[in-house]
Amino acid sequence: MENEQRFRALFENNPDLMLFQNRAGIILDANPAFLALIHAEKEAVVGQSIDEFLPPELRAMFARKLAEAFEGHKVKFDVEVGFIGADRPVWLSCTKVPLLVDGSVTGVHLVARDVTELFASHRTIQEQAHRLNTIFESITDAFFLLDDKLRFTYVNGEVERLLNVSRPEVLNVPIEAVVGEGSDFYKYLKRAQASGQAAHFEAVYAKTNRWLEVKAFPSEQQLSVYFADITEKVRSQEDMYRQHRDLQQFTYIVSHNLRAPLANALGLVDLLGSVPADSPDHTLALSNLKTSVQQLDVVLRDMNTILSIRDQQGITEPEMVPLADVVNQASLNLREPMQQYRGELLLNIAPELRVRANRAYLYSIFFNLLSNAMKYRAESRPLRVEVSARARPEGGVDVVVADNGSGFDLERAGADVFRLYKRFHTAQAGRGIGLYLVKTHVEAMAGTIDVTSAVDAGTQFHIYLP
Amino acid sequence: MHTLLIDDDAIGVFLTERLLKRESFSDNITSFGSAEEALNFLRQAPAEELPRVIFLDLNMPVMDGWEFLEALRPQEAQLHGRCRIYILTSSLAQSDTARVDEFGLVAGLIHKPIDSAQIQSVRDQMGAVET
Repeated sequence: MENEQRFRALFENNPDLMLFQNRAGIILDANPAFLALIHAEKEAVVGQSIDEFLPPELRAMFARKLAEAFEGHKVKFDVEVGFIGADRPVWLSCTKVPLLVDGSVTGVHLVARDVTELFASHRTIQEQAHRLNTIFESITDAFFLLDDKLRFTYVNGEVERLLNVSRPEVLNVPIEAVVGEGSDFYKYLKRAQASGQAAHFEAVYAKTNRWLEVKAFPSEQQLSVYFADITEKVRSQEDMYRQHRDLQQFTYIVSHNLRAPLANALGLVDLLGSVPADSPDHTLALSNLKTSVQQLDVVLRDMNTILSIRDQQGITEPEMVPLADVVNQASLNLREPMQQYRGELLLNIAPELRVRANRAYLYSIFFNLLSNAMKYRAESRPLRVEVSARARPEGGVDVVVADNGSGFDLERAGADVFRLYKRFHTAQAGRGIGLYLVKTHVEAMAGTIDVTSAVDAGTQFHIYLP
Repeated sequence: MHTLLIDDDAIGVFLTERLLKRESFSDNITSFGSAEEALNFLRQAPAEELPRVIFLDLNMPVMDGWEFLEALRPQEAQLHGRCRIYILTSSLAQSDTARVDEFGLVAGLIHKPIDSAQIQSVRDQMGAVET
C-alpha cells in the first residue's frame, strides 16, 4: 500500500512526461505533465490509443519501440514530436520501461524528458562553431589556435597552404615540431605566451623559405595566431635598399672618382695657358693632362662594366658550371705572374662539383681574387693560395679562397672592403674596383661573400652560392 | 708663407703647387702623399716650422682627410691661430661640405681645381687674420 502511494506520487509529480500503455498502444494512465503539454483532461486520454495524439509520420516508430519494450527490453530514443493538441513541437529523450509481473510484461511505462532547450542550445553552439569556422576559412590571413602546451588545436586552410602542412598532420602537435625549436617564429610565440602580451613580428619559415608577418594574441589557456606571407614585400624592400645603395655609390663615384681626374684636367688647362710653351713645366703639365684624361676614360669604362652587370642580372641564364674548371682557367691566365712570385695554388675542389652560376661571373670572381692574392702577397714568404669548395647538404656551395699574404686590418676596413674605389694599400697600384666587381658578381648570382683577414697572416674570402 | 699640401694624387700635387707658385702665394711648399706622413710631420715639427696653411685632400686611401682631422684633434689648441686648414677636394658631395663645421681648424672648403680667384681669397683671409 505504501509502495503504491510512493509510486503514485512519483508518477503524478514527475516533471517528465509519463504514460502507461498496454500492448495495443492504448494509454492506461497519463501524468499531469503529459496532460498539461497536450492541454487535455485525463478522461479524454485514458483508453485512447497513443496514435490519437501523435502526428501520422511518427505512429509506426512509436509502435515499433513499444513492441521492443514488450519483448522485455528497456528502450531509449530521442525524437522531436509535435503532439496533437500541444502548442509547439518538443524534443523528447524517451525511455520505455517494461513492467514485469510474474515474469511477463503487462504494460510499458514511457518516460519522456523535454530536452528542447538543451537541443536548441546545442544547435546554437554547433551553428556558432560552423559560422566561426566559415569566418576563419574565409579570412585571407592564416589563422591557428594553440593550447597551453603550444599544441595546434585549430588551423585554417591558409595555414595548410603557407606552412605546407595538412590539418591532421599538425593537430595536437606542438608548434616547435612544425616551425623548428630554434626558429624566431617559435621564440616569439613562446615569449607571447609566457608574457601574456600580444606579439607582432616578422620571421622566416624555414620549410618554404618565406617571410611571414605574424600577430599573436594570448588569452586564457590559448594563443590565437594570425599570419600572412610578406615575402614579396620584404624582397622588394631589399631590392629598393640595394638600388638605393647603388645610387648612393654612383653619386659618390661621380662626385669623387669621375670628378677627380676632370678637376685635374681643368686645372692643367688653366696652368698650360700661363706657362711658356718651351718650359719643362709645360711638358709636364701636358703629359699630366693626358694621364688625367686617360683616368677619366678608365672610370667611365669601369662604370660601364658595373652597369652592364647590373643590367644583365636576370637576363643571362645560369648553367651548371664545373667549379674546378673555372678556377683552373683563371689560374692559367695568371700563371706567369704566379711563377714569377714562386707562388703556389692549391685546389681542394672535387672535379665533379658543379655550381649553378654564370660562367663569366664565376671566372671574374676567381680571376680578381687570385690577382688580389698576388698583388697583396707578403714579401717575406712565398705566396700560397688555397681554393676549397664543398657542397652543402641542403643545397648550394661554400667556396673559400685563402692566402698567406699581407692581409689587412679588418676592424678598420670593415664593410668598406668591397666598396668601389675604396683602397687600403698605398704601396700597390690599384683603383679599388676588383673586390667591388667580385661582390657584384656574387650578388648577381644571389650568393653572399664575406672576408676575414689578419695583418701579415693572410686573408680568407668565404663565398656562398645557392 | 710655409704651405703644406696633403694629397695622394701626384698630378693634383703638381697642379696645386704650380698654381700657388704662379700666383706667388708661397715659395715654401711641402707636400705629403699620405695623411699619415703629414700627421707625423705635424706632431714632431717645432712650433716655428708649423705651416701657416694646409691644403688637405679628402679622398685618400688608408687615412682619408676626415680621419686626418680627427687624428689632429689633440693638437688643435696648439695649431689654433697659427695654422689654417683648407680642404681642397674634387668632391662635390654635399655631405662633405656639411662636415666642415665639425672642425675648428678648417677655414674653408675649396673645390678642385683651385684657381686665381680662390687663391686670392685665401690670401685675403690670411691677411685679415694677421692685421
